[in-house]
Amino acid sequence: MKKVIEVKNLTKEYKKLKAVDDLSFDVYKGEILGLLGPNGSGKSTTINCLLSLLNFSNGSIKIFDCDMKPDAYDLKRKIGVVFQDVSVFNELNVIDNIDYFCGLYIKDKITRKKYVDEAIELVGLTDFKKFYPKQLSGGLLRRLNIACGIAHKPEIIFLDEPTVAVDPQSRNNILDGIKKLRDNGATILYTTHYMEEVEILCDRVIILDKGKILASGTTDELKKMASTSEKVSVEVNDLDNKKIDKIKTLKNVDEVTYKDGILLINYKKGKNNLVDIIEFLKQENINYNKIYSERPTLNDVFLELTGKELRD
Amino acid sequence: MTVFKTFFKILNKNKFIVILYTVILLVFGGFNMQTSERSLSFKPSKPNITIVNNDEDEGITKSFINYIKDNSDIPDIKLDNESLDDALFYEDTSYIVFIPKNYHTDFINGKNPFITIKKSNNYNAFYADMIVKRYLSIANSYVGSINNEDELIKLIDDTIDTDVKIEITSKIDSTNIDKASFYFNFESYSILACLIYVICLILSIFNNQNIHKRTIISSTNYKKNNRILLLSNLLYAFILWLFYLIASIVLLGNIIFTTYGVVFSINSLLFTICATSIAFFIGSIVTNKNAISGIVNVVALGSSFLCGAFVPTEYLPDSVISIAHILPTYYYVNTNDRIKDIEVFNMDNLKPIIINMIIIIIFIIVFIIFTNLMSKIKRKIG
Repeated sequence: MKKVIEVKNLTKEYKKLKAVDDLSFDVYKGEILGLLGPNGSGKSTTINCLLSLLNFSNGSIKIFDCDMKPDAYDLKRKIGVVFQDVSVFNELNVIDNIDYFCGLYIKDKITRKKYVDEAIELVGLTDFKKFYPKQLSGGLLRRLNIACGIAHKPEIIFLDEPTVAVDPQSRNNILDGIKKLRDNGATILYTTHYMEEVEILCDRVIILDKGKILASGTTDELKKMASTSEKVSVEVNDLDNKKIDKIKTLKNVDEVTYKDGILLINYKKGKNNLVDIIEFLKQENINYNKIYSERPTLNDVFLELTGKELRD
Repeated sequence: MTVFKTFFKILNKNKFIVILYTVILLVFGGFNMQTSERSLSFKPSKPNITIVNNDEDEGITKSFINYIKDNSDIPDIKLDNESLDDALFYEDTSYIVFIPKNYHTDFINGKNPFITIKKSNNYNAFYADMIVKRYLSIANSYVGSINNEDELIKLIDDTIDTDVKIEITSKIDSTNIDKASFYFNFESYSILACLIYVICLILSIFNNQNIHKRTIISSTNYKKNNRILLLSNLLYAFILWLFYLIASIVLLGNIIFTTYGVVFSINSLLFTICATSIAFFIGSIVTNKNAISGIVNVVALGSSFLCGAFVPTEYLPDSVISIAHILPTYYYVNTNDRIKDIEVFNMDNLKPIIINMIIIIIFIIVFIIFTNLMSKIKRKIG
């Protein structure tokens, strides 16, 4: 696959603080790469360096094999950005806002009109063309923010936490829109601290903390890094220590905890763990209400790597 | 074109504020002009003078009393000391002339008799003083050379009665020039308010951190973008100036097409450019949209009051005038006032006007330098 972004040894220092610490990664054409990390992990700083909004202390950034510089206007034409904060004119309606930001890239009126209409359709704002930002709900405003960033049909799109504080319906709409952009050939660099979004969207993920890459790979590859391969929770009353000790001796069981009527069993690996525990509960005549199994999440991986939750 | 179009779309959204300040100019400017018209037509009035004559009603004493009676109103007051003091206190009379005994004979004989005066502190007393002193100074100038009292009286009366013939050489309607001066002085407030409000508002919108970021990362040259924004602001300022000029033609008529009108217009154009540079400077500091209205009031209203755009500078205290010297509005208003007083346009008359204009140009340069400095500082902080 062709590399469209190449970052080598990127370092950004604020006095003594290293916001980005020797970061190296590549982004390939047509993929969605997720930058996952808690607040302050260096995601936005990395993106700002990539966009030449910030000078960096060390390293190199190449986009389409060219050095990214503030005056690299030809390169900038191929890039679209959706910032975390909504960046639109409150004084302009939806269509005028998109037209303005698209106009910063596309000078031809007819092409621009076509692109603006397509962007409006993509984010589902067709019924709100003449609405002003203040008349839009938080979710619709986010969609407008996205439309303003992608209307000029960029080849690379930077999406910096575009779904923060968005209602579920708008979030689904936004995620569908991002998939459509990828399907249309765009390469996307997606930063978020919502692991569910990363799992739904991203082909590859980079986990960042304190400006460093902790791990990278596909979501499945990352999950395999977790020591726990399966978690089974059972709602059960009156479980004595003897039975808990027996559970600990079952195959593949790594850790067992029982608290507030919930029995939590972590399995190292293996198959049919759920079937095994159900068999055991039957044999021991233990009554249970609910039982469910969970695969490890990226949060579990992050927890193991850093000792803290992703949303801390 | 995108930035240019957006500038005017945002301006259109805020047109109410421009209309408001324009209406203020037209309403108050028009009202002021009517006031000035009334103040230019005056009715002559006579001061109240009381005469306490201790001399005989003869000779130069009689002539002097007749002269005072012709040029003043003589109130009906008792002539005892207490009544005279009361009359002065209650302003029933403003001026009391005490003619001493044997005044006319002593005067003819060159003894220089002394006339005692009692007066109040009002303008009537000042006027009465002028009337009395006029007669006495004429009489004193003749007394040494003429010994015959009748001849002396005749000569004094002839001199006093001589009319000063005034030939009006200027064909300019001074009332209209005064009106124009009022209009252009008042215009400084509307221009400052409209420019500061709109330019600061639009700059704060375009310089909003998020929108600014989107502009920087776009493929449009950032400097070119800024230049278009600057030109849009200048175009708006020019349109505003032109509109006020057309309004002045409607309100003042042909005066604008005379030399006076041309100088007034050049002065207001320079001030418009200066107000634009002030607006840019304020716009480079202020990012909070809510603060703009307050700033407009402080800068536009404050400088207009301090510099005599609303109240003529002659009524302002010296301390205020001293402060006003640091504001460009002062030089703009001062130029308008000077234009109003010009009879003939020559280099001598135009020199102070040109100096004022140069000072305004210096203000423009200073504000442009300050704006650039502020932008650089902001960029560094960013």
